[in-house]
Amino acid sequence: MFGQGLIKGLEITLGELFKKKVTVQYPEQRCVIPPRFHGEFTLDADKCINCGLCANACPNKVIQIESDKADKKRILTKYTMNIQYCLFCGLCVENCNKGAIQFTQKFEMAKYDAAMIPLVLLNKNPEQIAEEKAKILADAAKAAEAKAMAEAAAGAVKPAPKADAPAGGKTDGTEG
Amino acid sequence: MVENIFINIAGSLRSVLDAAGAPLFINDVILVLVKVVAVLVYVLVSALWLVYMERKVAAFMQARIGPNRVGPMGLLQTAADIGKLISKEIIIPRVSDKIVFLLMPVLIFVPALLVFAVVPFGKDMIAVDLNIGLFYFFSIASVSTIIFWAGGWASNNKYALVGAMRAVSQMISYEIPLVMALLGVVMMVGSLKMSDMVYAQQNVWFVFTQPIAFIVYVIAATSETNRTPFDLLEGESEIVAGPFTEYGGMAYAMWYLSEYANLVLVSAMATTAFLGGWLAPFGWTFIPSWVWFFLKLYLMIYVFMWFRWTYPRLRVDQLMNFGWKVLVPLTLANIFVTGAGMYIYRAIGW
Repeated sequence: MFGQGLIKGLEITLGELFKKKVTVQYPEQRCVIPPRFHGEFTLDADKCINCGLCANACPNKVIQIESDKADKKRILTKYTMNIQYCLFCGLCVENCNKGAIQFTQKFEMAKYDAAMIPLVLLNKNPEQIAEEKAKILADAAKAAEAKAMAEAAAGAVKPAPKADAPAGGKTDGTEG
Repeated sequence: MVENIFINIAGSLRSVLDAAGAPLFINDVILVLVKVVAVLVYVLVSALWLVYMERKVAAFMQARIGPNRVGPMGLLQTAADIGKLISKEIIIPRVSDKIVFLLMPVLIFVPALLVFAVVPFGKDMIAVDLNIGLFYFFSIASVSTIIFWAGGWASNNKYALVGAMRAVSQMISYEIPLVMALLGVVMMVGSLKMSDMVYAQQNVWFVFTQPIAFIVYVIAATSETNRTPFDLLEGESEIVAGPFTEYGGMAYAMWYLSEYANLVLVSAMATTAFLGGWLAPFGWTFIPSWVWFFLKLYLMIYVFMWFRWTYPRLRVDQLMNFGWKVLVPLTLANIFVTGAGMYIYRAIGW
């Protein structure tokens, strides 16, 4: 019939009029974000071993790591991402052996000022660093002491190595 | 009570003026002025409302929600838009005909407002019941073509001029089927008076006795108001704004709002001529006549909006071919069939 298509078109638009609307009214209502969404980053500083694999993997040199050293141990002091250059490829997350750097579902990263754009995930102040250093050194000293004691104990059973003999003897004396 | 609310207001105003000792002439003038202002306010407010309604209808047909932030349910959206447009500068091109350029966006409302004098809004609610009501309606309404043309001409811009030429050719072409479609109705009524036209539909509405005329009228009216699928004049997605190219700010908004005033106008005519005007269907007279009129009016307006958000735009040559080769012969045939039918009915003594 002539004009059938016109009628059908009207039917479709009329049907659409009563259908459920698909609009998500953003600030109040939000879409469900998938769990593997590439959003803002989060750093679990306790897991981080400061290996620098993430910074090396980054194609845009987004990640900047500052570290300090105390008794052979590297301390992470600052972890900054120049997020304006980030392409959210996820290579840093993939490369992290400890799962320290992770994506979150946060996507609202707009800032009022250009200076606020770099994402500072960790920034320890000097006191914190000094404290941590002292703790590491103390731990190291304690560990060394414990190690020496264990070795001395071992040395009592076995013939002690030449270099360690005098020290071993001393501890042995105090113990006895 | 509710049925005659507006008539009672007019009556009490008249008696107050009589009591105040105003002569009959002054009394009449004041009453007509009040009617004019009432119609003016109605048309302007409805233009604002229709912009909102159009956006809502469009949104709902596209599975969206539409404006809902400004005011309750977004009702103040158009008011906010107009506020913004008023505060904008109207840029007047240096080479334009400044007086005509600025006058035309104002004048475009004049025909739209004038024709409401003969629209029967309800039982006995007609400002001036002219005995050539229909003729007056269309002769005034077609003046808007000249205003479109003058606006495009005064801009002194080739795009505005071409747009205005397109407007004129389209509007004149579709005026013919528009008026000839109503000729069938006029033949059956035997009068050009708007109130007679409504009373003639007491038994059956003309949409049932004149279906071809109704369809042709709706199509031609869509084209007359320059709405999709015949919105070649403006063609939002393709060309600049036709005759309104050089207009900005409130001047542009006036053209835009006049489209909605014209939409009310053609819908009011369709309601009066085909949908029984203010007559209640099925004898449901417990609802006041003016409510019926507005229900039918907004149903017609909805149909025009429905068309707009369903159909794609025609090409210019398709538009002209359709108007002259389809609609005009169709209306001529309709007039012939109506005349023959009336003659036969009279012969068999109905």
